[in-house]
Amino acid sequence: MAEAPSASTRPHTSSTTTDAPEGGANILGDRRPRARGRHKGRRWLVQLGAYFATICALITINFLVPRMMPGNPVQALAAKGSTTFTFGQQGQVALERYYGLDRSLVSQFGHYLSQLAHGDLGWSIVTNAPVGDDLARRMPWTLLLIGTSLLLATALGLVAGVHSGWRRGRALDRGLLTVLLSVREFPTFLLGSLLLLLFAVKLGWLPISGAETAFSSLGPGGSILDIGRHLLLPALVLSVGLTAGSFLIMRAGMVNELGADYLLWGRAKGLRERRLKYNYAARNALLPVVSLTALQLGFVVTGDVLIERIFSYPGVGNLIFESINSRDYPAIQGAFLFVAVSVITVNALADVFYRRLDPRTSS
Amino acid sequence: MSVIDVDTAAPPKRHRARPSALMLIGAVVLGLLVIVAVLAPVLASNDPKAISGPALEQPSARHWLGTDIPGRDIFSKLVYGARASLVVALIGGSIAMTGAIVVGVAPALLGGFADSVSARLVVFLLALPGLPLLILIGSLAGNNRLALTLVIGFVGAAPNARILRSQTLSLRQRGFITAARGCGGGPLYVLRRHLVPGLGPLIVVGFVNWAGVAIGLEAGLAFLGLGDPTGVSWGLMLNRALSQPGIYYSPMWTWWVLPAGLGIALAVLGFTFVGVGLEPNFNPRWLRAS
Repeated sequence: MAEAPSASTRPHTSSTTTDAPEGGANILGDRRPRARGRHKGRRWLVQLGAYFATICALITINFLVPRMMPGNPVQALAAKGSTTFTFGQQGQVALERYYGLDRSLVSQFGHYLSQLAHGDLGWSIVTNAPVGDDLARRMPWTLLLIGTSLLLATALGLVAGVHSGWRRGRALDRGLLTVLLSVREFPTFLLGSLLLLLFAVKLGWLPISGAETAFSSLGPGGSILDIGRHLLLPALVLSVGLTAGSFLIMRAGMVNELGADYLLWGRAKGLRERRLKYNYAARNALLPVVSLTALQLGFVVTGDVLIERIFSYPGVGNLIFESINSRDYPAIQGAFLFVAVSVITVNALADVFYRRLDPRTSS
Repeated sequence: MSVIDVDTAAPPKRHRARPSALMLIGAVVLGLLVIVAVLAPVLASNDPKAISGPALEQPSARHWLGTDIPGRDIFSKLVYGARASLVVALIGGSIAMTGAIVVGVAPALLGGFADSVSARLVVFLLALPGLPLLILIGSLAGNNRLALTLVIGFVGAAPNARILRSQTLSLRQRGFITAARGCGGGPLYVLRRHLVPGLGPLIVVGFVNWAGVAIGLEAGLAFLGLGDPTGVSWGLMLNRALSQPGIYYSPMWTWWVLPAGLGIALAVLGFTFVGVGLEPNFNPRWLRAS
């Protein structure tokens, strides 16, 4: 759970910094007051530095983890039970030389960095193609799935959260809170399997797998409908946990606004409840949801891998699954780096966007 | 509890009201799970790893839930699976909270360089996508079940560290701690009298929540085919069952997929319910929000 905004009710803590998750030291409650404007340029540099440091750390992890593990990829390739176990001793040595595993760690790291600098994520052992190409081919489907789910979840969570917070303590609020808190951690892959069984297998209303009907000539309108029908179930399952996340944040934000003076003033002025609720309270409570949506991306990626596997969706998640199954290390590594860097980049962008949106956080 | 409320205008109130129905349900579910896990050798009718009949047998008196592909008793696997899940929950939850205390609480108390380094570390760890990292490490760790459990716990350290850290920083600033220090209270006294009561509840809630998440994560990884293939766990059962082509079109899923799925769902929900039930009692943020 991201930090709920507690600023307005707790005057002691440096208020505006506590409710902006993910922004460098200050979100964690750095108490040193910063001079307004004077260090603005330096702050940007620090942020940028932190971002690149994170990327560097990721690359190093990606390089070191496989090499610190017992055994090496070549042994794994030759292990009994793997799809490529036919390599003999001689073949293993040749492979080690081919992949440069017989050289020193430093020289391997240098080689790896220069590869990355050329945009080379590695060569997939199974598909015998650049990992980057495989990823690029799968990317649109994943973006479609994740984008739809995030939009759906944020919209649903916002609407439910606004209502729930405005009328907190009522039956609807208690019901929504209980249900959404309960489903928040419910394993996505389980929910996916159950819904797939019900709607696709037993009732036959929706397609069972894939992202579109293969070899079909449906025309443009038909194709969109077809893709939508395939997308519905995976996107729905993926958005369940996300909805709970944005709901909780939005609700907490609304509750925090409830006692605010401007609402009292608005009421005294004779404004309608609707206007107070949406134009006044909800607008102020909306901010934390922005940063949460970005934070949730990491969560979506987790769900995405499992959901794509269940629905055989041809995206990046399924590529990761296939790579695991065939122990295709370059593909797993490449996919990890790609996904991790994407998530971190989106988070960094959201942080910048958030500062723009909320003038209080830029001071 | 009252420690946290001292600063607020209202007189300190005890919010530890009667436990909610949700929490009771969760506690009962978890209790049952523990009983099944402890009594697994008694309850199971067969050795879960041994082949005890023909493959893919229907439920019978000898095999209550039939057999799987090599012919192992599914019911016995189900019973032993409870053990696996609870072990993952306990280890995963403990590692997560220990990590959170080391990275979140300790540096926040020390301040200075350690503090800013750990703050950056938490931000970095938070940005890492959990499952891809688990997949990377899991696929390389091979059949090492313990390594996977440790990493599941490790992934939980960052989010919990953030919660604990902000609470620690806010506690540090409160008047009562300054007052205690001013009156000659040593660091250990402040720790025992103010910090432990202030942070303890959050640590308990964090542990319960992450224990549930750990079960789900382990099951998800096993479901993807990561983890010890010879081990016994609900996620592995699902992995096996769902890799049978067209399992949903045969009645097999009712005794193979469903029980394992229900086991995971109950275990996760049990921890979630207890966590949701505890949170309003413990978390000061919630007192205002609900």
